[in-house]
Order: sequence, then structure tokens, then C-alpha cells
Amino acid sequence: MSRFNFLFKFSYRNIWREPKRALIMIFSLAIGTGYILWVLNFSEAGSKEVMNDFLSQYAGSYQITNKDYYPEGNTKRFNTFATIRTGDIPGQELASSIPRVVSPVFISGNKKTLGVLLNGTVPQLEDKFSKLTTAVKTGRFVAPDSSNEIVLGMSLANKIDIKIGEQVAVIGQARDGSVANDLFTVVGFLDFGGGDLEDSLSFTNLESAQTLFSLDEDEYHQRVNFDMERNPPTLEKLQVTTWHQLLPEISVSIRFIDGFTKIVCIVVVGVISLGLSNTLMISFLERQKEFSALNIIGANRTWIISSLFIEVFLTGTLALLIGLLIGHLCTWLNFYYPINLELFTSGKPMYLGGMLIHPYVKIYPVSKYYWQVAILIYLFLIISMIYPSYKIMNRGKDAI
Amino acid sequence: MQFELKNVSKVYETGQENITYGAKNINLTIREGDFMALVGPSGSGKTTLLNLIAGLLAPSTGEVFHKGEDITHLTLEERTKHRLDYMGFVFQDYQLLPVLTAYENVEFPLQLKNIDKEEIKERVLWALDQVGLASFKDRFPKQLSGGQQQRVSIARAIACRPSLILADEPTANLDSKTSQEIIDLFKKLNSEFNLTFIFSTHDQRLIDQVKTVLYIKDGQIADQKEH
Repeated sequence: MSRFNFLFKFSYRNIWREPKRALIMIFSLAIGTGYILWVLNFSEAGSKEVMNDFLSQYAGSYQITNKDYYPEGNTKRFNTFATIRTGDIPGQELASSIPRVVSPVFISGNKKTLGVLLNGTVPQLEDKFSKLTTAVKTGRFVAPDSSNEIVLGMSLANKIDIKIGEQVAVIGQARDGSVANDLFTVVGFLDFGGGDLEDSLSFTNLESAQTLFSLDEDEYHQRVNFDMERNPPTLEKLQVTTWHQLLPEISVSIRFIDGFTKIVCIVVVGVISLGLSNTLMISFLERQKEFSALNIIGANRTWIISSLFIEVFLTGTLALLIGLLIGHLCTWLNFYYPINLELFTSGKPMYLGGMLIHPYVKIYPVSKYYWQVAILIYLFLIISMIYPSYKIMNRGKDAI
Repeated sequence: MQFELKNVSKVYETGQENITYGAKNINLTIREGDFMALVGPSGSGKTTLLNLIAGLLAPSTGEVFHKGEDITHLTLEERTKHRLDYMGFVFQDYQLLPVLTAYENVEFPLQLKNIDKEEIKERVLWALDQVGLASFKDRFPKQLSGGQQQRVSIARAIACRPSLILADEPTANLDSKTSQEIIDLFKKLNSEFNLTFIFSTHDQRLIDQVKTVLYIKDGQIADQKEH
């Protein structure tokens, strides 16, 4: 123990023999580490925040449907004959989920008839789990016990020329194969910030939709879950479709951005490590004479390399701790002062999947990145030690 | 007889088909209590011979014996251990470790030998006392004069109680007064503890005060004088 303590003391003091160089090395590594941690937190928390903001408006985290609802897995087509019933769904899946009847229909206004997606939903549950009702900026959302009330996208309403209080004709196909048609009173307009969804969505309450499509009172098409932290279940008789499958283009974009961010981080760590390796190399080459003297006095190569490893380990650990602290503080700073995404869009609004998304992103610490960054830094430190160690070990048969 | 070199040569390859002898057919016996100087012009092979005795260089041909045991073919690590167990070194430029105090510099080889803590303390204080620097034990090398640094270097060499102390130009960086003090110290250690010293030197004062002078020329022992 005494021998190790001596080795440790020797290595620790060696770090500070050139204080300026040590401080520059420690702080450059720390700033790099802090930056990487912040970027990873930003990437993960930012993506999650944006997606949560987007998904909680309408799409949800995953949905449970009849296995035949999306023919051949194509989520752009609907088999409206394939319904589900509340009794088919496991109890734990009923919490934080909303039953919806979702079927393509024609809506006819004063000027035009357009094809849209009619959603029959439970307004109280939308209030509780989603942000859908907050998108109604003009008028109101459909009342829970109302009959044949409808909310239209703002853009759709303009196109078919309809105002609040007026009636629209809705024409679709009922569960029994007959033509489903009825008149609905417009009570509000959805404003998604001018996105594409304003052209294609309409909402009524569940009972009105079930009546229109000749469905039983516990029969619907989708059970949409809004618990973002919940892992989608595997159900034997029903189809579970995640938002990644429903919105593959968005999912791929998010994965691409996340993957690219991680590659950038690895490259940054690599560049920092090369710089560190170079500094270490210069420092070690300058000390060749000292290593020879140590060997002459009686220190073997293992002892010398051990002392260098301790030096590098201590330097790296110190830099890592400072770096993680910097990254953590910056992350918390952006938790309390969220980043305005419009900084990256020259002030233009951001749309995702046809919806305006919240431009401010809160960043929060993602614990897995703390140890992943630490492992990455240590890995590169070990790599940076390979060449100096090789130089010391490979001295041939002469000690000097 | 402590160390014996039999027909030892060291060849340096300096290019295609060009070889230089750092040492050539050296036969040398070092006995306990010897106080010997290797003398010769620069490049004559004094330091090479010192390094061959120390095991820092492996001979190209010939054998090196220590107490009758052939140590020529020891591995690099074995030679390092052998040096630690039996030899002490004094350098021209002291080679003290700047991050360690005088006490810790002397402690260094004892820590490598894994000696008991109390014994380390006893030996370090004894060694520093022998060189007259017990009161400077907590000073770092940069806080000591050249002569004091060389004394610490000597304390480090004797702390392990070696059979042989090798000193490469130990007085070259010192003024004449300090040089004489260091030579006196070497003489005291030689006479009081029968320590064996081999110096590589140009310093006439030291040459005049050793018991044996070996004149080295072109890697060979050209002459030997006893005082």
C-alpha cells in the first residue's frame, strides 16, 4: 500500500509540474466533455420534447387496432370494417388511452365537397390525455353529450366555405356496407398553426360517429395511448402500431438527427483525444531522459508506465468531472431557460407532421449519457496511452 | 571480488557495414572497497564501460560476473532489479526528481525495493545525515544549490546500501570548492563503510584522490595506475 501511495503521490505531483500545460489540457478536455454531454442531452431531450409536443396533439404514442384495420400494414389506408371492442383490450391498456372511430369521409360545405378523415372521440378523455382540444382557437370543441356536432380544420373550413353554426353534410361508408350520411353542425375550428392537418382532419364525439357508421356503442377503430413513457405492449389478437410505424418519415428523420449527433460527438471526442494524445506525447518525449534516470535508479518499465497511466487517469478524471459539471450546468440552464428552436430556423415557425410545434425546448439531463461519455473519454485516454507505452516497453536489450 | 568483466566488447552499428566499438575486449576486476576513476578523452568509452558494469548496456560479446554469477544474459527487467539491489548511481546533472522533496528522492529506490516503512525512514534519515542534509529533507530540488542536489543524489545512491556506486562525471557541474566537498564525501563513505566507487571523470582533483586510475582509449583500457 505504501508503495502504491508513493507511486500515486509521484504521479499526481507530475501532473502539476507544468501547471499551465496541465490546466490547458484539463480545461480543453473538460470543455469538450461538457459540450458533448450538452449536445447529447439536447439531442435526446430535444427530440423527446418536440415529439411529445407533436404526438400529444393528436397522434399519441401508439394505437391498438384490429389486425385488419391497416390492410397489409399500410397505415395510409383504412379498413373501416375492421373494428375493436372495449372488451378485447387488456385492462392496463385502457388507462391513458382514448377510443376513436377514424374513417375517411366526404364533407360538403357551401362551396365544395372534400375528402377528409373524420374522428369520433371522447372529448373528456381528449381533455385529459391529449392537447387536441387546445388546438380549437375559434369556437369550441364538440360537447360530450352532444349529437352531430363537428369541429373542422381551419383551412378545410375556408376551402369548403363554412362558418361556425352552419351545417355540413358528411358522407361515408357504414359498418354494414350502406352509405353513411348525415348533417353535422360546425362548432369550432382547429388551428394547428397553418399545417397540412388543418386540411384533412375533423372531429365529432364518439357516439355521433358510432351512429353515423352503424357501430355498436362499445365498438370503434382505434384505442390511442398517450402515455409517452409506456412501452407498447405485444398483443396476440390485436395490432399495436407505434408512432414510428404511423409516421415513418418523421421517425427516420429523428433517428437520423440523433445518429448524426452521436457521430459528431464521437468525432469531437476523437479530435480532443488526438490533441490530448499529442500533448501527452510531447510531454513524454520531453521526459525520456527522466524515464532513463528512473530506470537507472531501479524503476522497471511496468512502474514507469503505471505512473504515466495514473497521471493520465487522474488528469482525465479531473477533466471529466469538470466537464460533466459544465455539461450538467448548461443542461440545467436550458431547462430553466429553454432553447427557442426558431434560433435555428431564422425565426420561421417549425412544422412537424403538418402541425406547428412548440418552438421552446427544455433540455434535461439524460443519465445514461453521463456514464457513456465517461466510458468514451476513458477509452480514448487509454488509446492515447498506447503509443507512449509502446515506446517505453520497446527499448530493446539496452536500458538507455 | 565483486564484479568481473571478461573480454567484454560493445559494438554500435552506425550505418551499413560501419561499426564502432564503445568498448573493446575489456577485462576488469572490481573488488570491494575499490575507489576507481575511469579517465580518458570524450568519446573514449568511459561512459560505455560504466554502463556495461551497471547493466544499462548489454555487452555484444564477453561476460559480466557479479560475485561469481554470470549476469550477462539477464533480461532488461532482471538487470533493473539487479541494479536496484546492488548498485547506486550518481549523475553529472544529479537527476533528482523535481516533484519529490530531498527526503522523497532518497526514499524513491527504497520504495521500489518494497522495504518496511519504518526501515525506509531510518535509512533515508541516515543517508541524508551522512551527506549533511538532514535539515534540508523537506526541500524540493529547485530549492537546493547544485552541490546540495549532488549530495541528495549521493544520499539516494547510498540509502539502498549498495555493493557498488557508479558516478558519471559527478563533479563536472560543480564549482571547485563544492567539488572538493563532494570528493571528500565520497572518500569518507569509502573509508568509513568500505563502499566501492567507480567514477567516470575529467576532474583532475578527483583523479588525484582515487586509489586506482584506469585510462580508457578507443574503448580499451590503455593504462592503469595505483595511488
